[in-house]
Formats: sequence, structure tokens, C-alpha cells
Amino acid sequence: MKLLLKNGRILDPSQDLDIVGSVTIVDDQIDEVGEKVDERDADEIYDCTGMWITPGLVDLHVHLREPGFSHKETIISGTQSAAAGGYTVICCMPNTDPPLDDPALIDFILDRSASPEAGGVFVAPIGALTKGMKGEQPSNLASLKRAQIVAASDDAYPIQDAQVMMRCMELCRQLDLPVAVHCEEESLTRGASMNEGAMSAMLGLKGMPRTAEEIQVARNCMLSLETGCPLHVLHVSTWGSVEIIKQAKFLGAPVTAEVCPHHFSMTDEDMVPFDTNWKMNPPLRTQVDVDILLGALADGTIDCISTDHAPHAAYEKDRPFDEAPFGIVGLESAVGVALTYLTHKGILSPLETIRRMSTRPAEVYRLDAGTLKKGRTPVAQVTVIDPDVEWTFDVSRTFSKGKNSLYHGMKLKGKAMLTFSGGEVYRDALWAANDRVAV
Amino acid sequence: MHVLSIREMDPETIDSLISSSLEMKKACRSGGSVPNLSGRVVGMLFLENSTRTRVSFEQAARKLDLGICVFGVQGTSMAKGESLKDTVLTLRYEGIDGLVMRHNCSGAPYLAARFFGGPVINAGDGMHEHPTQALADAVTIAEHKPSIKGLTVAIVGDVLHSRVARSNLWLLSKLGAEVRLVGPRTLLPRHPGHLPVSIHYDLASGIEGADVVMALRMQKERMDGGLVSSMSEYALMYQVNARSLRFAKPDCLVMHPGPINRGLELDDWTADGPNSVINEQVENGVYVRMAVFAAAFESNNGKPKKSQKKAVKA
Repeated sequence: MKLLLKNGRILDPSQDLDIVGSVTIVDDQIDEVGEKVDERDADEIYDCTGMWITPGLVDLHVHLREPGFSHKETIISGTQSAAAGGYTVICCMPNTDPPLDDPALIDFILDRSASPEAGGVFVAPIGALTKGMKGEQPSNLASLKRAQIVAASDDAYPIQDAQVMMRCMELCRQLDLPVAVHCEEESLTRGASMNEGAMSAMLGLKGMPRTAEEIQVARNCMLSLETGCPLHVLHVSTWGSVEIIKQAKFLGAPVTAEVCPHHFSMTDEDMVPFDTNWKMNPPLRTQVDVDILLGALADGTIDCISTDHAPHAAYEKDRPFDEAPFGIVGLESAVGVALTYLTHKGILSPLETIRRMSTRPAEVYRLDAGTLKKGRTPVAQVTVIDPDVEWTFDVSRTFSKGKNSLYHGMKLKGKAMLTFSGGEVYRDALWAANDRVAV
Repeated sequence: MHVLSIREMDPETIDSLISSSLEMKKACRSGGSVPNLSGRVVGMLFLENSTRTRVSFEQAARKLDLGICVFGVQGTSMAKGESLKDTVLTLRYEGIDGLVMRHNCSGAPYLAARFFGGPVINAGDGMHEHPTQALADAVTIAEHKPSIKGLTVAIVGDVLHSRVARSNLWLLSKLGAEVRLVGPRTLLPRHPGHLPVSIHYDLASGIEGADVVMALRMQKERMDGGLVSSMSEYALMYQVNARSLRFAKPDCLVMHPGPINRGLELDDWTADGPNSVINEQVENGVYVRMAVFAAAFESNNGKPKKSQKKAVKA
């Protein structure tokens, strides 16, 4: 079986490649990438004129909700959503019920994600950093690592005790396992539901001060410097966090960082008052933060873009703002938001956009992904993106079970059209409409 | 017409509700006629403790012959875990025409308004707004001062947690008053940028030359949270009393949304003194709620009529 992706703009940050050319996939593996490839005997030809051909996108921060919360999302629906968003590798967070602190649970996730109904993309699980995510006793991290976790985290339950954190990081340093951290000093955020600022003062909602995030970013960066443990700072949202991370990197701490599409595209001023689809943690901040985050993406202080895809059932979000759960879905809007707010605004070049969404995140968790180099990924992982298509994001047409998105009804420019993980795992309706497939 | 917040209410509507309230008062006192809303039933969904506001709404409804149905969490399906959305939908399809809602979460009435067909009146939501209280305060001020425009109003105390303050500051500034927030740094918003107010940490300078001083209730749980050191420390710095009132205008009105902690926000002399209009605020609350009911129900299915004043007279 030979697939020919013809005449697209090939963007492969892993080899700084930005050329117009073609890609062939033979028996689920990348065969040729270049201006001229052997086009003979192709079983299927995809005319990619005007499209980008990129390594499959990689998302380090996804909540698949299984086991325990399958009313919000399942591994099946979540991986389908990922494929539709152009992702070929997603890392799932351990805040399930029970939390992913047991190798058997990792086996379950890997099994389920390989099932034929699933989206056909790779799931790389993140293990719980502490047992039960209670922030007390480290998990059996060596066993979890053998079960194939790619990082450890107590995401959503940030460890408050610095001693516990330091010990966990020592253990992870020994195992060479990145530690991913949601940074929040909880004594400053109890009962809070949005950014502390002019908007929260106006709406009478208790706000989370930016310092609650920054205090823990600073602590964790210093612990990383002290222990040498690779630290990945999840969903950076404030300018202060950016400055601290920049300093930590300057000092030589093995620190990486990610930003979510909503944090670089929206502010608390944009939010529809009391609409719970605008409630997430960390919350939307202010324009100053957005400006600094954009600069940090451009200069590499922020390594990558992750979605923090956090699906919830409608009945959970249809509650008073204080009582509704945090989080929004992101897998199927991320490409549109990133291209609309980064690439088309000239913040990142097309190649750098793909670097932050594919190559760099793969490097952060040392995944066999994020490249079009032959033989470097278990199977061919390729995404075809139409950078110029204008479309309206509609949650009723998404694969995720969660319909909680603030982007619903918004116009975006740029969309994943085809996703290949081995073979084709997703083909967008807009692609067929354009009659681009020739056999 | 929903009455969810003063922030989103235009000054014309505020003016018309104030004058309609004054007409209700006149009519009630002189035995004149008030609108008759018989045949309609309003649901009183009080999901947080309240005596004065609930009774005030009930009294207003009675005077308009408006049927009422009172609910708390206890004794309703919400105690069985029914969501607010489903409770509201149930009331809607049981034929309840309007909803008065008190809730401990800011913005909860907005959720109710999304699912309830008829008008929703916010009777206090979390730390957000308490529109009818602000209207009662404005009516009280209007009775004593030639105009709200140009007045200086000092709101003193726990503004951070106060829905009364958040409604009053919008209402008064929309009608042209200068609003000052006065209190300790821990109880004033740290980012007041969107609020049409000035911030004063010192009581004397905050109420200097004020035409109206509104003291807010200090809740005991705020002390426990360490927001102020002690009751006596707070009283020392922020109590509205004869000593501090020397800085305000001699005919300054002293107001309080109640319930008062005597000896804390106000001393006895001030609460019962010649400048105090606290009992009038309570009385006017009933007329304001009558005016709000009339406006809410006499505007066809949420579409406001051109002249609510006329409708009230009819």
C-alpha cells in the first residue's frame, strides 16, 4: 500500500525543512520526503496543493477521563477527537478514578487506545506522581515507568508540601522521568473561580491571584535546579511565570514549559459573564499576560502548545459559575486557534508553529514522534493542514463527548484536513467537499 | 423584563423604577390604586438564608395581589440533589410566571434566566449584585436630596464581599453621584479598574464632605479568615459614629443595608440618630419590589413596554 501526499508545503521542524514537495507512505511507514519523490504505483494520491504537510501533532496535556469519568470522555471518543484535531500522539493525565498510580491502569489505557474503535492515534500515559494523587507518598514510579508512562504528574492536585515535591523529583531524576506540574499555591485560591482582576471585582467572583501560580512555578523551578529533575511547567498563564521560567532556563535548570491556546488568544475581559465555558484553571488572564506569552512562544521560553483538553458533561457545566468544574475541550480547535492567533498574525512562522505543536513537545517527553524522518516513528505520523480555510468552530460537530468550549461559534482560519497514523485515520468533510482525493 | 443586575440596567430604567416606587409609596399611604397582578404567581427561590429581603418581596407581592410560592433548599427537590437548572425548568412548566431568586453563588440568576421563560428577579447573588436593595437605597436618597446627581456617597466596610455595594456603586454613578469605597485594604477590591469609584483606605478622608455614608455589614466569618485583626480594631478604624461623621456634611444621610452589628459598623447613637434613614430603607424596599414586580410582569414576555410608568398608573 502506497500513499502519495502530493505537492504540499512540507514543514518538518526536526530537520528545519520548509519546501514544496511530496511525501510517500509505504506500508504505514514514511518512505520518501522531498521535492521529487517516486510517484509510481501509488494506491492513493492526495493532492495537497496549498496545504501544509507536517509531522503528526503532539499534545502533552489531555484529559481522557477514563477510567472513572466516562460520562465526560472515553479513550475511544478522546482519541477520535485527537485524530480530528490533527494529533497523532496525545499524553493523558492521571487524574482519573482511580488515578493512574498503578501499572495495571497504564496497561488498560494502552489496550483501550489500541482498540479498533479508537481514533487510531497513540496515547502516551502520564502516571500519578504520588499515590492516589494525594500529595503524600510517591507512586511506584519505577514500575509505572516500566509500564510505559512518559512523565509523572499530580496535575489538578498540585503538591503543596515542598518536602514531598523535592523527594518526588529526586526519585524522578533517578528514573530520568519528566515531572509535569500544575502550579498553584492553593491557600491563595480557595473558593476562587477566575482570574483575580478588574473583571472578578466587577462580577463578584472570587479571583485567583497570579501570584498563586507564580509562587509554585518559582518553587518548582528552584527544586528542578537543585535536584536536576526534568520539570515541565503545565499551562503557563502569567507574565510572571514566563519571567521565572526564563530565569530558571538561564540558570541551567532542565525546565520546559507549555501554553494552552486559550491562554494566548483570550483574556478575562473577553469572557461572557458567568458563562462556565470560560472557566478553567489556570484562568484566562489579561492582555499583558497574552502579550508576554506570545513573545515567550516566539523566543522559545515556552517550548510547546498543549490543549489541556478537559471535557465535562453539559449537566456539570450548567451550574452556577462557582460550582461548575474547571476546564474546556481543546483538541479539535487547537490548530484553528494556533493558526488564527499565531501564524496568521505573524507571531510564529508556519515552521515554528509546527515546531511548538509537534517536534518540540515530542522532545520534551522524549517521544518517538514529531518528525517526518524515515524510521524515526513507530508508524508514519503525518498531518495535512489547510492553513487558509475559514470555518466556524461548532461543538455539535466534534468527536469529543465534551462540548464545553469557549470557541463555539467563533470563526477560525486553518484546520487539520487529514491525519495519518500509519494509514489515514481522519479525513475532514471539507477535504472531500473540495474533491481533492484522486485515486 | 429580567432584573439581574444594575450594571446592565440603563439609567432610564433605573429612573423609571425609582419614580414608580415613589408612586407605589404614595398610593399605599393614601389608599390609592396600585397595579393588580392577580392571576400571576411568582416563585420565591431562596437558596440562602434571608429574612428581610424575603419578607419584603412577599409584602410587595401581597399588595399587588400577586400569588407567591416560597421555596428554600429544605423541603424541595434540591435537597434530593436536583440541579438548579431542573428546578427552574420544573417551576416554569408548573406555570410559575416569574422568579425571585436568592443564591449564594454570583451569577446564579443568569443561569436561571437561561432556562426560565418568564422574568427573573435577582434578590441577591453571592458577592455579585442585590439590585432591589440598591433601588431601595436610591429611593430613600431621592426622598431626602433634591437630586442624586452631584452627591458624594461613601460606601464603608467590607466592599469585597458585598453585593449591596456592587449594585449601589453602579446605580449611584449611573445617576451622576460620586462613589467612594472606604475600608481596609483586605476588604476592598485589589483591582477596582472596572468600577466607577475612588478608593480610600482612611475613613476620615473617605467620608470627607460626603452627602451619604453607607455602612456595610461586617460578617463574623471575615474576622476568622484574618481579613481584619478583630472587631474592636475594625471599629476603631472604620466605625461610622459621631466622631467620624464630623468629616461628612452636617445633613449627611447614614444608611445600612442591615442587619446591623451595633457597636461595630455603627454605634447606637448613629444608627438611631437624626441622620439615620435605615428604617426608611427597609420600608422603601417594599415599594421598590412592588415597582419591580409591576415592571417585570407588565412588560410583555420580557419585552419592555415603552412606558412602564404609564403601566403602573393604569
